[in-house]
Amino acid sequence: MSELTISRRGLLAGSALLWASTALPAIAFAQTPKKGGRLVLAADSEPRNLNPAIVASNGVFFISSKIVETLAEASFDGKDGLEPRLALSWEGAADGLSVTFKLRDGVKWHDGKPFTSADVAFSALQIWKPLQNLGRTVFKDLEAVDTPDELTAVFKFAKPTPFQLIRNALPALSSVVPKHLYEVGKIEDNPANNAPVGTGPFKFAEYKAGQYYRLTRNDAYWSKDEPYLDEIVYQVLPDRTSAAAALEAEEIQLAAFSAVPLADLDRISKVPGLKVITKGYEGLTYQLVVEINHRRKELADLKVRQAIAHAIDKDFVVRTIFLGYAATATGPVPKNDPQFYTADVPTYPFDVAKANALLDEAGYKRADDGKRFALKLLPAPYFNETKQFGDYLRQALAAIGIDAQIVNNDSAAHIKAVYTDHAFDLAVGPPVFRGDPAISTTILVQSGIPDGVPFSNQGGYKNADLDALIVKASETLDAAARTELYKEFQKKVAADLPLINVAEWSFISVARDTVGNIANNPRWAVSNWADTYLES
Amino acid sequence: MSRLRRFLSTPEAVAGALILALLAVMALVAPLLFSGDPQAIAGPALQPPFQDWSLPLGTDRLGRDVLAELFHGARTSLAVGLAAAAAALLIGAVVGTLAGFAGGLVDEVLMRVTDAFQTVPSFLLALAFVSIVGPSLGVVVAAIALSAWTGPARVARAEVLSIRERDYVAGARVIGMHPLEIAFREVLPNALPPVLALSSVIVAAAILTEAALSFLGLGDPNRVTWGGMIAEGRTVLRTAPFLSIVPGVALVLTVLGVYLAGEGVVESTAVRRSLS
Repeated sequence: MSELTISRRGLLAGSALLWASTALPAIAFAQTPKKGGRLVLAADSEPRNLNPAIVASNGVFFISSKIVETLAEASFDGKDGLEPRLALSWEGAADGLSVTFKLRDGVKWHDGKPFTSADVAFSALQIWKPLQNLGRTVFKDLEAVDTPDELTAVFKFAKPTPFQLIRNALPALSSVVPKHLYEVGKIEDNPANNAPVGTGPFKFAEYKAGQYYRLTRNDAYWSKDEPYLDEIVYQVLPDRTSAAAALEAEEIQLAAFSAVPLADLDRISKVPGLKVITKGYEGLTYQLVVEINHRRKELADLKVRQAIAHAIDKDFVVRTIFLGYAATATGPVPKNDPQFYTADVPTYPFDVAKANALLDEAGYKRADDGKRFALKLLPAPYFNETKQFGDYLRQALAAIGIDAQIVNNDSAAHIKAVYTDHAFDLAVGPPVFRGDPAISTTILVQSGIPDGVPFSNQGGYKNADLDALIVKASETLDAAARTELYKEFQKKVAADLPLINVAEWSFISVARDTVGNIANNPRWAVSNWADTYLES
Repeated sequence: MSRLRRFLSTPEAVAGALILALLAVMALVAPLLFSGDPQAIAGPALQPPFQDWSLPLGTDRLGRDVLAELFHGARTSLAVGLAAAAAALLIGAVVGTLAGFAGGLVDEVLMRVTDAFQTVPSFLLALAFVSIVGPSLGVVVAAIALSAWTGPARVARAEVLSIRERDYVAGARVIGMHPLEIAFREVLPNALPPVLALSSVIVAAAILTEAALSFLGLGDPNRVTWGGMIAEGRTVLRTAPFLSIVPGVALVLTVLGVYLAGEGVVESTAVRRSLS
């Protein structure tokens, strides 16, 4: 017996040594990134317009954030969750009417011209404010950008604008493009939209439709020694099942944005040489939301909305549809947001009996066939998970006597049906939380938004209280007071249910072990990858 | 009777008939055996087959009973296959008879329209039709019929061209019957057998087209279809291949059964013809 113990201990020690010997080189490499090499990765969509200053969306950032830089990037441990890029510092005035940016010295555009405050002023006034999908809201009161010298840009606002909001918007909304290329002709038709020119660590080299995008190293990058990679190639693999196979065959080294289906992750995590990474998307949280058309008289009744909220088993959704790679939601701000989230909101635990009782109370009794009323349900087609949740929601509603008929549309038809024609009763949508509720969250419940604005309140919901709160928060300059108002906002939304937040999820990367410095900031997949390297 | 015996004398025909009979039974008993919604969540997700005997074929990604879905899918496949084939045969026979019997300008116009439909790939036509009108069972049937009626129309026309010269047709004219009455009461019934021989091919093609449409997400989302099941299973092909294999095999067997049975019918009638 004692002999056995000893030999087992010996075995353990031996295997630990063996493990340590394999782990050692990896640790050594992590400290000294290697230069050179070509990173090949999977791209699942092919955006035509690659100008991130106009189209602030993850699909565009994924490619163009390596070429065109923003004033600041999100960071795990920087002050206010930011680290400098083109701006070195940012300072908001106490009256909320101006923000001063000190810019980085010695930065050159890819065509050799120097980067100056004039470029920032031009980008902000000519592109972010009038043309950018998100900038239109955030920079709506931006009046002028003063440039006292080449390295200072002062944003002047017509109305007091919370500095906290501007700060939170920097990583996604502040892509700076060269004035000298954009000042001639129409900005939307500029050739640089398809072959971007920026200040980033990589230059745009070529794009072959249906095949690949290729970026090459910017030798004149402002950060010495960076970037480490010589080339980045985005291999277009629109079929989600092919990314996993390509990784295993070593044709690609990285598949970001959940290009590998969730159901395959368990299997692929056991393949030697591949690792599954869930970090690096903290700043890009998607929310699984049931959008409600309040024009339907049944759905205008709060009891019915509460009943629907009680009928959804959020744990089942997270466990089965997202296979655990998600979190249940309590309200319109995701749990992983460090600034605004509050758990102190009304909740709706899964309770079919209670849901049925609420519907009876509301006066919608079951007919002889067990059904109370019928609804049209439109699941958004962008993600497998939104479609599957549509199937699940239909079953969950059947359990409380609501007969939901699913209507499938392609992306364009879905956006038109929900956000322009309002031809839905319930819809499943994946809005994105972008670090501040004022950027793309309050718009989901605010009234008075014109028809046709995607991912906004098109359900005809109107709540004067909530509208007033949103306006007040947009004018509150003090960060702490503003945060409090958004906590109040979460409570009100969870109580009145203009929409139902079900879950929050982000993406997963799968990479070969040789790719280093992965997921080292909260927007890693859409950051500049200057410090990413390959071991061999 | 002797015809039935001839039909049953070929083993292929028997196999085909058996498969079809099994399918029909599946479709008929589905609501009895699996009452309630086949898309209801019945157990843990992604349970492999032959583990739990209350869920013999396992469950899909949401935990729905694959066997129940398979049975209810048979209903959709058969319903769409038969309805689409019936509609295609009806349209084809009417158009073909009118064209063949009337001749002249009517013939020209109808046949050029038929040509126009034939030049467009039939699946593309169905795809375009469904994506414009929106997916529902009726639309899918109409889309398949729209792309399948040209074959029967051509066969019917050729048959009518020969029949309309027969003496009894001339007789009907002489006694003053209305041309349309002659066309549809005297000529069409006699032109039908070769047209009906096409039915097995059309049914098989219709079932496959429906499956392909569902696979592309253009089937009726509120019904279980085999094509839809394969499409759902495709995302987990590496981890749970049975989700695609089970409905795939069902689809292959069904099309094979329809084809074999149809072949048997044609052969038995062909023997009868050569005998007479």
